[in-house]
Amino acid sequence: MIRLQDVTKVYDGVTVAVSDVSLEIQKGEFVFFVGPSGSGKSTLIRLILRQELPTDGAIWVAGKQTSKLPSWKVPLLRRSVGTVFQDFKLLPSKTVYENVAFALEVIGRPRHVIRNQVPQVLKLVGLAAKADRLPNQLSGGEQQRVSIARAFVNRPLIVLADEPTGNLDPATSVGIMRLLDRINRTGTTVVMATHDHAIVDAMRRRVIALERGRVVRDQSRGAYETSDQPIVEA
Amino acid sequence: MRFQYLLGQAAANLRRNVLVVFSAVVAVLVMLTLVFGTIVLRWSIDQDIGRWDDNVRVIAFLSDELTLEEIDSLQRDLQVWEQVEGVEYFSKAEALDEFRELFADQQSLIDVVEEDPSILPASLRIRPTAAADYSAITDRLVVIPGIREVSAADEAIDALVARSDRLRTFAVWIVVVLGAAAVILIANTIRIAVFARREEIGIMKLVGAGNWFVRIPFFLEGIVEGLVGAALSVALVWGVSGSIAELFSTSTSPGALAVPVDFLVRNGLLILGFGAATGLAGSVFGMWGFLRD
Repeated sequence: MIRLQDVTKVYDGVTVAVSDVSLEIQKGEFVFFVGPSGSGKSTLIRLILRQELPTDGAIWVAGKQTSKLPSWKVPLLRRSVGTVFQDFKLLPSKTVYENVAFALEVIGRPRHVIRNQVPQVLKLVGLAAKADRLPNQLSGGEQQRVSIARAFVNRPLIVLADEPTGNLDPATSVGIMRLLDRINRTGTTVVMATHDHAIVDAMRRRVIALERGRVVRDQSRGAYETSDQPIVEA
Repeated sequence: MRFQYLLGQAAANLRRNVLVVFSAVVAVLVMLTLVFGTIVLRWSIDQDIGRWDDNVRVIAFLSDELTLEEIDSLQRDLQVWEQVEGVEYFSKAEALDEFRELFADQQSLIDVVEEDPSILPASLRIRPTAAADYSAITDRLVVIPGIREVSAADEAIDALVARSDRLRTFAVWIVVVLGAAAVILIANTIRIAVFARREEIGIMKLVGAGNWFVRIPFFLEGIVEGLVGAALSVALVWGVSGSIAELFSTSTSPGALAVPVDFLVRNGLLILGFGAATGLAGSVFGMWGFLRD
């Protein structure tokens, strides 16, 4: 589903954000990118989303090589990738319903599809009763659920989440993780960048640890720290 | 539904920055009013020149030494000149008749020319293809031996032609300077609209909205601004076209200068097209570098 081959990303010719990373993520996997700030997690997310192109190496997402994709086809790639961010990125003037419907409107989905899909996905994230609220009338956890609903409403092949629990308290974070886990169980590949130890340790999913732009560990059913585990090469 | 959405976005953008949009529309209005006004003005001057055209004659007074055959061959030579439409021979006798008619009330003058026939020479009266050509014809005539003197009908033609040319230059400069100003002002409104909606655009791109889907509302916004300015200027110039036409006119009959409706329609459409193009140019310029992918 996602494959990186010898990927290096250098900003402004000096800052090396990602260095010689090769990895492969299968369809339906749940993968954590872990590591301290500046280790390259977010850059990997941006590269997969083709917000950036690699300086070196190649990236395949859903069968397409990002650097060979003409710019008019980039939107098509993004329709198969849902994204969730730490800061939710909701439109403050639109209701919960409208925020989710917006994602379908702008890719030209017909109205009856929107009327059908949006309530469904709002029910999935547990916000059916708050469809008419504005984002500032919701808690942080609820806002993140809206943004997950928006990422998932188009049934993407992949959901990319960049620090989705970064702004949330631990109890709320657990709810968000349950939700991402449910989405993963539908067969959707989930890739999540985080530095939340508790979550990674509780989930016991594949962990790809990064340090200064390099993959230092790739471990299935891993934990955040490596103290009691051997380093496993991919 | 998509089209509705795009139009709605453009309308929302326009509402959001009423003042900035207003300034862009006014810039287009001023520019195109001057351009359209100039077009109407030139039309009226060309009408004037046209009226002169039929009456303009270049008169080549012939030396008395020329034989009839020589005059005949000279006439045939002139006939083939590009700028010449027709040549008429005017004999001494005819000149005298004309003189008598013109100065019928001044018998003393008539007496003088009748006594000395060399005073009134024979002449070739040349009708130019266009009034403006008369000076070219004059220049060629004066060097021909046997032609005593060349007289052209009027310096007024010169003045009219020069005025028409000056107007054209003026119009070109208006288009260049005010056109650039209008494009920049429209680009500015587009930039502000893009900035005001940057969050929304970011999300649109994240969820995979097509590039054109993101851009079209801004193009529409620019085109609407250009069209509104152009429409106002067409209405304005149309309303006062009669007065504009009479501004520099030498015509004595005031009603003769009503600008024909089909002329106004044709050029009005041109102005509308020009306004839309200005708006589109402004949008492209305003979005340059933004909204890549």
